[in-house]
Amino acid sequence: MTGESVEPDPVPEASAEVGPADAAGLLKEMRLLRRNARSARHAYWFPLVLFSLLTFAAIPFYVMPTFKGGIYASAGPSMPILGGAPGFAVQNYLGYYWLAALLGGLALTLWWYRRHARRTGLKTPSRGYLITVAALTGVALIIPLLAHFRPFRFLYVAVPGDLVIRGTFPFLIIAIGLCVLAWAERSRALGLIALIYTGTALVASLYDVENVLFRLGWNPSPNQWQLTDLPNVLLPAVVLLAAGVGAFLVQRKQRRVA
Amino acid sequence: MTAADEAAELPDRSNGHPTNGLDETVHQRHRLGILTIAAEAESADFGYLRDALGLTPGNLSRHLTVLEEAGLIKVDKGYEGKRPRTWVSITGAGRSALAAELAALTELLRRHSAPQPLI
Repeated sequence: MTGESVEPDPVPEASAEVGPADAAGLLKEMRLLRRNARSARHAYWFPLVLFSLLTFAAIPFYVMPTFKGGIYASAGPSMPILGGAPGFAVQNYLGYYWLAALLGGLALTLWWYRRHARRTGLKTPSRGYLITVAALTGVALIIPLLAHFRPFRFLYVAVPGDLVIRGTFPFLIIAIGLCVLAWAERSRALGLIALIYTGTALVASLYDVENVLFRLGWNPSPNQWQLTDLPNVLLPAVVLLAAGVGAFLVQRKQRRVA
Repeated sequence: MTAADEAAELPDRSNGHPTNGLDETVHQRHRLGILTIAAEAESADFGYLRDALGLTPGNLSRHLTVLEEAGLIKVDKGYEGKRPRTWVSITGAGRSALAAELAALTELLRRHSAPQPLI
C-alpha cells in the first residue's frame, strides 16, 4: 500500500456484540481523531499574513495624487473595480497592482497548502478557494471591459459603485476567499476572523475611516492630506496581520502539544 | 456510481435495534478511524494514518484493502521525488457509511442512557 511491499498482519474483526460502553468509547476515540486531524490540517495563518503584507505593500498606490486645477493629476486606473473609480483619489496602476497581488497571493496560498499537506500528511481541499478568488478577480476585471460595449452597458449599473470607488474592492474578494477557506479548513476561528475582516472591508469600502481619526484629534498638515486615504487601507491590513500572527502562535502551540 | 447506487449498496439500517445499523466493514475500530480521518481531509497520507492509529504498516495496509474493496475509500499511490507516497481519500459511499455508523453508535448510546420504564 505504501508502494513498498509490506506483510499484512492479521486484522482483528469487529465484534458483533456492542454495548453502550463500547459505543461511548468508540465515539470518544473518533472525536479525538477528528479533532487531531482538523488541528493538524489548520494552516491558515499564512494566507492571513500574506494578504496583510500585500495590503501594506499597496499603500503607495493609495497616497492621493497631486491636486491641480480642480482635478487630480492621476486620471485613475482602467480597472475601476479593482483599482477604484476613474478620477477618484487613488494612484494609477492600483488595479494592476491588485490584479497581480490577488493572483500571486492565490498562487502562493495554494503552494503553501500543498507544502503543508506534504509535511503533515493531510490535504486541505483548496479547489473551492482557488475557483472563488480566481472567478471574482476575473469578473472584477472583465465587467468594466465588457461595459464599454453597448449591449453590456447595463453592467455599469449592476456594479455597486459605493463598494468600488475607493479602490478597496479587492479587500472584499480577499474576505470572500477567507470565508471559503474557513469552510474548507472547517475552522470556526477562521470563520470568525473572516466575518470580522468582511465587516472591516465593508467599512473601508463604504466609509471614510479618516473621519474617525479627525474626531480623535488628527489634524493633518497640508502635506499630510495626501495620506488621508490610508486609514481605509491600514485598518483591514492590521486586522489581518493581528489575526495571522495570533493564528500562527496558536497553531505552533498546538503542534508542540501534539 | 451515483449517490443512489451507493446508498443502495449499503446495508439496510432502517429499523430495529441500533446494532442492526452497525456494518462489520466499517465498525472495526481502526477502519472506523481511517474513515473518520479521511473524512476530515481531502486525502490522508499513509504515514499519518499509521501514526494516528498506532498501526503497523502491514496492518494498516490490510485495513485499507478491506475498505478499498468495499468501495469506501480510494487509494492513490505515487512518488514525491524518490519517496513512495500513498494518499487515501474517502468516497461518497464511505461518507454515507461513516455517517450511518456514527448515527447507529449515537442512537445505541442514547437508548441506554435514556431513563428505563419502571415496568
